[in-house]
Amino acid sequence: MGNKVILLGNEAIARGIVEAGCEVASAYPGTPSSEILPAVARFADELGTRTAVEWAVNEKVAFEVAATASFTGKRTCAIMKQVGLNVAADPLMSVAHFDLAGGFLIVSADDPGPHSSQTEQDSRYFAMFAKVPCFDPASAQEAKDMVFDAFDLSEKYHMPVMLRPAVRVDHCRQDVELGTVKDLGRKADFKKDIRRWVCLPAHVRINHPQLNAKLDSVREDFETLYGRYNFEVPAKGRAALGVIAGGVSFSIVMDLLKAWNREDISVLKIGTPHPLPVKMVEDFIARHENVLVLEETYPVIEMQLPDRTRLKGRWNGFVPRAGELLPEVIRELILKALGETLPEEDSSELKAAIEELKVTPKPPMLCPGCPHRASFFAMRKALPNGIYPSDIGCYTLGVNQRDVDTTIDMGASLTSASGFYLAYRTDGKDQPVVATIGDSTFFHMGILGLVNAVYNRHAFVLAILDNRITAMTGGQSNPSIGDKLRKGDEGRQVDIEGVVRGCGVSFVKVVEPYDTKDSAEVFKEAWEHAKNNREPAVVILRHPCMLLRQKQATVKVRVNPEKCIGCKYCTNFFNCPGLPFDEAAGKAKIDERFCVQCGVCIQVCPHGAIEAVEGEEE
Amino acid sequence: MQYVIVGLGGQGILFTSRVLGHIAVSRGERVMGSEVHGMAQRGGSVISHFKVGQYESPLVLTGSADLLIAFDQGEGIRNLHFLRPGAKAILNLHDPAALENVHLKKYATGRGLEISGIPGYRILSEKMNGRFLFMNVLMLGAMCGIGAGNVSIDEIRAAVGTLAPEKHRADNLKAVELGYEYFRGN
Repeated sequence: MGNKVILLGNEAIARGIVEAGCEVASAYPGTPSSEILPAVARFADELGTRTAVEWAVNEKVAFEVAATASFTGKRTCAIMKQVGLNVAADPLMSVAHFDLAGGFLIVSADDPGPHSSQTEQDSRYFAMFAKVPCFDPASAQEAKDMVFDAFDLSEKYHMPVMLRPAVRVDHCRQDVELGTVKDLGRKADFKKDIRRWVCLPAHVRINHPQLNAKLDSVREDFETLYGRYNFEVPAKGRAALGVIAGGVSFSIVMDLLKAWNREDISVLKIGTPHPLPVKMVEDFIARHENVLVLEETYPVIEMQLPDRTRLKGRWNGFVPRAGELLPEVIRELILKALGETLPEEDSSELKAAIEELKVTPKPPMLCPGCPHRASFFAMRKALPNGIYPSDIGCYTLGVNQRDVDTTIDMGASLTSASGFYLAYRTDGKDQPVVATIGDSTFFHMGILGLVNAVYNRHAFVLAILDNRITAMTGGQSNPSIGDKLRKGDEGRQVDIEGVVRGCGVSFVKVVEPYDTKDSAEVFKEAWEHAKNNREPAVVILRHPCMLLRQKQATVKVRVNPEKCIGCKYCTNFFNCPGLPFDEAAGKAKIDERFCVQCGVCIQVCPHGAIEAVEGEEE
Repeated sequence: MQYVIVGLGGQGILFTSRVLGHIAVSRGERVMGSEVHGMAQRGGSVISHFKVGQYESPLVLTGSADLLIAFDQGEGIRNLHFLRPGAKAILNLHDPAALENVHLKKYATGRGLEISGIPGYRILSEKMNGRFLFMNVLMLGAMCGIGAGNVSIDEIRAAVGTLAPEKHRADNLKAVELGYEYFRGN
């Protein structure tokens, strides 16, 4: 072997999944996990395996599809981000009790920071809650290696096993060793056994103690058989500090010690945080007076120790209780634990320069030409006094122009709309409410909220922002498109209008969001219908995502300085990167670096100051 | 060798570290880097860390980078603190006056930093019909132009030639030269 290529951490995990002989892989995209499944499909195509690779409509579906496929004796896996595991929590809790047949791997990617999530939760904690073993990789290569061990462990004890890569492993790029596919030659062979596959209370009473016994055995294995993931890097001589570290924190500590050329700090790496090899950790603690624990993001290692009184960690707040453990944070923590300080760096000149040059970090924004921006503009124009519950996707960025009033989680735009409707209705008030949701999120968890609203007769407008893609996570397919990941594997498109009508909605209109006048009219009409008939009305705003780079008509635009009065209406309500406000001139301007010539802003300016440049329309 | 590459989401930053990684691996060196995917990619500030050599972690500690490549001058200035004393930076400038800022000059002198700028947008407007998606390869050419990055222009040419999609290969190579010539041309 020895064939090394540079892979993203997520691709390394995918490669491990294919090489380990996994035959069914199901996932729902979510940062930082999204690149795993497409890479599973790519490697499966390249290596010619028969692995079924599918985007599921949500994580619960992915989990159940993959878990059940493992009942036949095959290796399977379900892949998601940490908040996706919340959606899949129900099957996770039950399947943990099962005596599985084939290996079943759960990959749950965490997002300490967070960078792209609504929580900073720790999937290792969920593994502890569900009583399933968990591996926590420190690098791309280790993540790939752990996939094999996770499958083996799952088959040794007939239980699900979790791999928890955090974002810096998912999105690290590293040279990784490639291997070949393990051909397990298994045929699906489901052996009917009610005792084993039906989670009746009577069975759980037997299975729960059995699960506890399995965990005890896994803990013993982790103490002794997994030295490649759990090991000590000892100090030379007496250690001034002992650091217990999991995940990428271990890698950061090792780089720091090397850069500092320090050998008076010993490090215990823990790659299997649950169930914790307690004896190994206690032995390390006993040999060190001064112990620092670095883990992301909850004190999972600490919580499993009967005595944590001497530890400096997340538990007692020595390590901040929230936030990513960046190298700078770890540097400070090690120095604090040692009672040392670094010479203060004088960065006052840089700070002054940054201030004078007005350099600020740029928050993410909807792309230039994004159809959501136009949809939001029409929504606000039609119903300026509306309440706008929204959802999880690119359109959450509509918060920049205050077109998003609430988000909770996937699918909550609809249920929040129901909540607002009921709260105002009990006062006898008709409060306009517009819920916005994307196509993929609608299929993920929106449909149930719609059925609930039809059944209970909740009056609001549901705007489905159908951009024909799962955009935020990088452009994955979903039922509204119908494509599948593996070559030659055909899917089928599911028609959103048909689903909406099937849920019992009578007002369904499809509009082109770039025509903001027309869509504003339809928004008004939809609210009138909803209010008068006491039922949800649905507007589908359909225009392909700009990331798909489909050809569309271009309109070169300019701001007419004679007409622009500097009112900032376009900045506040349209907020396009291609149409910034020139503070010096006191007027809006077109920034050619970003403008994609969609021409929508022409409809936005109340003073007609944004004009098409004549003769250049294509 | 530790690189920090910064810019705005959508500027094609990831391709830059792919090129650098390709070169390092073909030399038999180990690589480690960290990228930004997801929400932050939507036009917001993005940062890529890239390390060549015996490193364990993908992140560059502030004050230790050997080179900063900035696709946006604001992002470049904001991230100068990543550089170790004596390191270099190459910035894509849309407002060259920024480099004349007194405080910035003092900071650079105090730490022995060598900050170079290239008007990338102007060059691509004039020479490549305003196709700014070639900024990433232009910056790689510029990096060699200022003699930074520990790779040769020939290695960049070869790696870009290998990694760029067939359809855009010639344009990518042209942009590499535009960046290089800005500093090396006559």
